[in-house]
This record gives sequence, C-alpha cells and structure tokens, in this order.
Amino acid sequence: MSRVFRPHGDGIRAQFEPQEVELLRTLEQGIAQTLERGDDADPVIERLFPTAVAGDEEADTELRRLLRDDLLEARQAGLRALGEILDRARPHRGRLRVDLVDDEPLLVLGVLNDLRLAIGARIGIEHLDREDIPDDDALRYRLAVMDHLGWWQEQLLMLLAHPDDAGSTDEQGDWT
Amino acid sequence: MTSRVALPGGLGRGRVTHGASTVSTPRASSAPDAPVREREPEVEERIEPDRPWDVIVWDDPVNLMSYVVFVLRRVFGFSEPVAHKLMLEVHNLGKALVASEPRERAEMYVSQLHGYGLQATMERSS
Repeated sequence: MSRVFRPHGDGIRAQFEPQEVELLRTLEQGIAQTLERGDDADPVIERLFPTAVAGDEEADTELRRLLRDDLLEARQAGLRALGEILDRARPHRGRLRVDLVDDEPLLVLGVLNDLRLAIGARIGIEHLDREDIPDDDALRYRLAVMDHLGWWQEQLLMLLAHPDDAGSTDEQGDWT
Repeated sequence: MTSRVALPGGLGRGRVTHGASTVSTPRASSAPDAPVREREPEVEERIEPDRPWDVIVWDDPVNLMSYVVFVLRRVFGFSEPVAHKLMLEVHNLGKALVASEPRERAEMYVSQLHGYGLQATMERSS
C-alpha cells in the first residue's frame, strides 16, 4: 500500500484512492450529523466532549458548558475544512491529488483523530477485545478503518515532526 | 504513581499544603435557617488562594502514542523526551499529571487538550 501523504514544497501532498475519499466523506458527514444532533447520551458526543473536572460534578457541568460551544465550533469547522480540501482533489493517475498548505496538515491530523475517536466510541472500543471478534464480524471493518486512518495520522505526524524526512518506514503505529 | 513535571512559568509558586478539602464556614452558623453547605468555595478560595489545579491526561484506546506526544509538545511546549515520558506514563499507568496551574490556566489546558481529542481533566491539587 503506498503512502497517502508526502512532503511537497513547503507543504504536504496527499494522494488518495477514490474510495478513500468516499470513505472520508461518508465519515465526515456521519460525524457532522452526530454533532448537529448533539445528543448527550450518544457515546460519540460523550467522547468528543469529555469530563473536564474530576471529582466535582457541579464544577464539571459548569466548565463543560463553558467549553462546549468553542469545542463544537472547532470540530465542525475542521470537518468543513476537510470537505473543502477533498473538493480540491484532482484526478492524477487513478488517484485523487490535493496539496495541503499552511495549517492544513495539522487540521487534517486533528480531524482524522476526531473521526477515529467517533468510530471507537460508536463501536464501544473501551470494552472490546480485538482477539475475540470473529473474522466475519462487521466490527472488523470498523476497526480496519480506524487503523487505516491511524496509519495516515502516523504519516502526517512523521512529516510534521521531521519536515525534511519523507519517512522511510511503512510500519503502523502502536496504540496507547 | 504520577510524578510532577516542571512547567515554564514557575510551578508551585506560593503553594499551600492543606489537608482538609472541606471548610466549615462561620457564615453558615450565623444563619441557622440557611441550608448547610458542605463546601463554601469563596472561603476555600480565600484560605488557599494558591492551591493549584492539577491537569491530568487519561489513557484511552484510540489515540496514537505518537499523536499524544505531538499534542503534549504542542500544548505545553515540552521537549520530546519529557512528552514521551509523560505519554508512556499515560499508557502504562492509565494517567499522567501534565500540569499544575492556577484555575484559569488549567481550564485553558483542558480546553486545548479536549480540542485535540485527549481525555483530560482538572482537579484541585491534593
């Protein structure tokens, strides 16, 4: 599998498979709708707007209310920006190519993380044991998507940490 | 156990060690009909103005280790080794103390960490 992100000038060039762009759009729209609904009982909302003060419910409620609008706005802006980046992608040798400039690599890194957090919360990853999931279970696909987006994050992190290094390994990262 | 990490900006300045976290207030006794409160934040604030808030990052099964290091470096300006050590603490022990600051600054850090998708909480330093 060839890497998606490579250094290009001062920025980073992304080259997606067409189905990868479709995947990103589907995920982006799904989470945008979840954010729009803003159901506090939704595990995705719980994960994206987590506990802020430990051991003091009152202070926690107060601070979360204070932080929520900005946090929501930032997440929605990130999703919109990802959509606009994907809109710019142009076909090139069977793939879709787009150049990320300025703070776009950082933005994409964060949105990819939000997407992975949302999938993880949706499938209840806190309580999953990967070993126990049957091969034909639909959860396997969701986990594979998370891993795939995680591999993209690793590529971006490598490029953001060492801008001059194209990254020589294709290994997938560990999880905390 | 978590270990404290020095931050730029002079940590622990004027910190008062204080055992009890609940304070009975003279005001409550002068108004017998008023509901008795366990805590009186104003008074607590006056007694321990410099008791800081601990910012703690919790382990979660999704965030990449390299991403956590990246975020800690970006938010706190930690060197790579410091950020890496803290990330490992989160990974191995389930949580790590990443800052100990006055309330508003702690809130700002929690807000930034949530923006990056890390599970971070703050609590009164014990």
